[in-house]
Amino acid sequence: MKCVILAAGEGKRMHPLTYTRPKVMLPIAGKPILEWNLLNARAAGLKEFIFVVSYKSEMVREYFADGKTWNVKITYVNQGTPQGTAHAISVIESFVNDFLIMCGDTIFGINDIKNMIKKGTKMGVIKAENATEYGVVELKGNQVQKITEKMDQPLSNIINAGVYHFNKQIFDYIRKTEKSPRGEFEITDSINMLVSKESMEGVLLNEWRDVVYPWHLLDANEEILKKIDKKIRGEIDKNTTILGNVIIGKNSRILAGSYIEGPVVIGDDCKIGPNCYIRPYTTIGSRCHIGNACEIKNSIIMDNSNVPHLNYVGDSIIGQNCNLGAGTTIANLRLDKKNISVILNGKKINSGRRKLGAIIGDNVQTGINSIMDVGTIVGNNTFIGPGAIAKDEIKSNSKIL
Amino acid sequence: MCGIIGYVGFRDARTVVLESLKRLDYRGYDSAGVAIIDKNLKVFKEIGEIANVERHIPKIKGTTGIGHTRWATHGGVTKENAHPHLSCDKKIAVIHNGIIENFSTLREELKKKGHTFRSQTDTEVIAHLIEEAYKGNLEDALVAAVKKMKGSYAIVAVSEDEPGKIVGARKESPLVIGVGDSENFLASDIPALLKYTKRVMFLNDGDFCTLTNETISVFDANKKQLKRKEELITWDVKDAEKSGFAHFMLKEIYDQPDTVHQVLRGRISEIEDTVIFPEHVEQLLKKEINSIHIVACGTSSYAGYVGKYLIEQITNIPVFVELASEYRYFGTRNENSLVIAITQSGETADTLAALREAQISGCKTLVITNVIGSTATRISDGYILQQSGPEIGVAATKTFTSQIIVLFLIGLKLALLQNMLGSDELYEYIFHLKKLPRYVREVLERSDDIRSIAKYLKDAKSVFFIGRGANYPLSLEGALKLKEISYIHAEGFAAGELKHGPFALLTKDTPVVAIITQDETYDKILANIGEIKARGSKVIAIAEDKDTEIEKHADYILRFPTDTKVLPCIQITVVLQLLAYHVANLRKCSIDKPRNLAKSVTVE
Repeated sequence: MKCVILAAGEGKRMHPLTYTRPKVMLPIAGKPILEWNLLNARAAGLKEFIFVVSYKSEMVREYFADGKTWNVKITYVNQGTPQGTAHAISVIESFVNDFLIMCGDTIFGINDIKNMIKKGTKMGVIKAENATEYGVVELKGNQVQKITEKMDQPLSNIINAGVYHFNKQIFDYIRKTEKSPRGEFEITDSINMLVSKESMEGVLLNEWRDVVYPWHLLDANEEILKKIDKKIRGEIDKNTTILGNVIIGKNSRILAGSYIEGPVVIGDDCKIGPNCYIRPYTTIGSRCHIGNACEIKNSIIMDNSNVPHLNYVGDSIIGQNCNLGAGTTIANLRLDKKNISVILNGKKINSGRRKLGAIIGDNVQTGINSIMDVGTIVGNNTFIGPGAIAKDEIKSNSKIL
Repeated sequence: MCGIIGYVGFRDARTVVLESLKRLDYRGYDSAGVAIIDKNLKVFKEIGEIANVERHIPKIKGTTGIGHTRWATHGGVTKENAHPHLSCDKKIAVIHNGIIENFSTLREELKKKGHTFRSQTDTEVIAHLIEEAYKGNLEDALVAAVKKMKGSYAIVAVSEDEPGKIVGARKESPLVIGVGDSENFLASDIPALLKYTKRVMFLNDGDFCTLTNETISVFDANKKQLKRKEELITWDVKDAEKSGFAHFMLKEIYDQPDTVHQVLRGRISEIEDTVIFPEHVEQLLKKEINSIHIVACGTSSYAGYVGKYLIEQITNIPVFVELASEYRYFGTRNENSLVIAITQSGETADTLAALREAQISGCKTLVITNVIGSTATRISDGYILQQSGPEIGVAATKTFTSQIIVLFLIGLKLALLQNMLGSDELYEYIFHLKKLPRYVREVLERSDDIRSIAKYLKDAKSVFFIGRGANYPLSLEGALKLKEISYIHAEGFAAGELKHGPFALLTKDTPVVAIITQDETYDKILANIGEIKARGSKVIAIAEDKDTEIEKHADYILRFPTDTKVLPCIQITVVLQLLAYHVANLRKCSIDKPRNLAKSVTVE
């Protein structure tokens, strides 16, 4: 059976991180989201993959190539200008018969994928705390009756998880699907037509992590780091403390006085320390430097970025090629301890998190003693001057002085 | 001048071909056609725009297809003359951009062999030549056919007997391969492909190629395999669309704060005051240069004229501006002279021919172009990219201002090499160059004022544009913009020349647009305006913000911001562009597709 992964989306709600990479290439625990799905699907027994790509597809292709590194076969299909999920699936018609298809920006568990590839048309569903943002699925026994998108008052808390097992028949329904009010061809419309004629089983999933906003990367990162094992390939100096499960990549050096509390992932060719404190659920990319008197907690730091001296980084994401000036600190907790709101693409959103630092794009540089407030979004190629205070949403290519 | 697309893959070829043709219609739009292999070869063609053709094509299956949008060169605009053209047995379909020079001889020969022709085009002979040579392999037959042809061409062909394969050949006309996943493309230009792929391979003159959904093979006339590098295009489909503006031209006028910034970026150094060209053209810009010949056509040649004034102002080097179509036959050449060719598309046939001529006579050649990988960049000794992004509107706007800036930077570089420029002066130039994007933005904010003045021109039969110094070529450009999109007769003159003849045409119904900067000719041009007013003509002045004197002389005034003598021409150009745009819009003209014109002219 072929496994189709939808990997074409830009992920506008992931700005600024997705200005420079497609959503599925965002790193979690040292690997792109798409790679976690590939690994889990492979563990469930799937060997042949089709990636439906479009936005910055060259990055996906460059990273995964033909799949030999993972012992799988990968075929790419370019969706062209994306026009919705049904459109994405329609482009693979000539490549598949009986197939599993999943959203590339949601992480699915191995056992769930095994259940999904059993015989028959199926759809993955999951219980959600808040179903308003999703497609609500009505079930009769385990049979799917209807999907309704984004209801204000959801009829149930069972939602569409974004993984399906289809056969060729789905393409007949896709052909009949018309544009939705928001101007896209939605696969849920095709499925509603399908379930009025044929049966479709709803499979309740156990594991599911969808990643919509940047701070969801921190949740997904935490979930995956909980499952890692200790693996140290770099050099570790005397007088360092490494607790719990920590992965350290090759050629990385941990210098004296470093205190690392796992789970933590550190990539290749990094210089960590001397005298720094790295706290649980932190992922550090390759070629990074974490220097003297720095504390990092529950954060993702991408390749080639430095947190070099006297910095605090908590519950934050730092893109590639960034450098923090000495003394730059990031706030991650409101004094009144309330949930933190973020302004993203001009819209205020409650992150639902009590602790959230900054989301920083690529090529950002900060001056000494600059400060970032809770929930700050910093666009790419931005300077934060010495002693400056950054807050709210800062557009790419800005200078904050 | 035509647009070509070929597709082989898994998608509905009808949709892909039509979508792509719509992005090529700036290359010509008098008729169009497609051929799709759906068990057998089906051909549809119509006169008019692609949307019109689309209405006449039924929904058919088939995942291999070719399409063509035409701008007539041989044979009138008729359905028969539209491409694709077919062989006698209707199994082979061919589309072509270029000119087959020996087509009448070939046509006679083929007729003698019993071929029947259905059109007057040169292209049809290709279909019959391929048919004549066809022995079960399309690329072999194409190679054999091309060997008999003289002229320029980009050809794409399909055969009903070999579905799932398209073949192509190019010489002196553009053709680029779009590299896809389980699909491949051939097109005249990159915007046609961007919806489906950003990976491209440029073909060289004399290259042939065969495409299937999984394979791409490039080879020469002896079937020797060639390697062509895959390149990644960094612009987006969005860049090639109107992004909310009523016309591409207006969008491209509004792109200018950004394109001006882009062309300066990385070329003027913030740290040490100097001018750098990342394209490595140092070996061309030497202090031994004793003269510069700028060769170009149309708007690019006006950019060249502006460049002449700018370069001569800051260096000791005389600059000659020559029309490419003339220079190639009549131009003077010497080895210490640098030939600068300006061609936005890098494919302008006249300019390419002039470049080749210049090289034969031993001149070093430098190209200013917008398209990396274009023919011009490959046949010249060096090139400088103007970084304007794709320009779809037929009337050049943002590419003109970028070309002027590149020429000015070349002037600065040469002045530095000749020690003509002190570091203080250079610092001042760079300081003011950096302010240009802001000034352009300010002009754009005054678009409404310009529109309110445009109504005085809208019903004119004839409009004069005048200026002195660098403002003289700007008046030529202003007149060109107005005539090409609004169809009003317009002429540009050096202000001092009016009394040597053109005055005879001046009546009270001939508005005059006068470009005025406060330089050493200021009093002279005020006097010229006086002479014009004496004949009852209305004067629209384009003047600096701080110029208060002009209010006594002109009937209407359009202002532009400047605080220096460095390149006020950029701001003035934007005023002229908006003026032409608003006049054409008031006259309800087809702004992005003026009649009888095409974007890049790849025939001589």
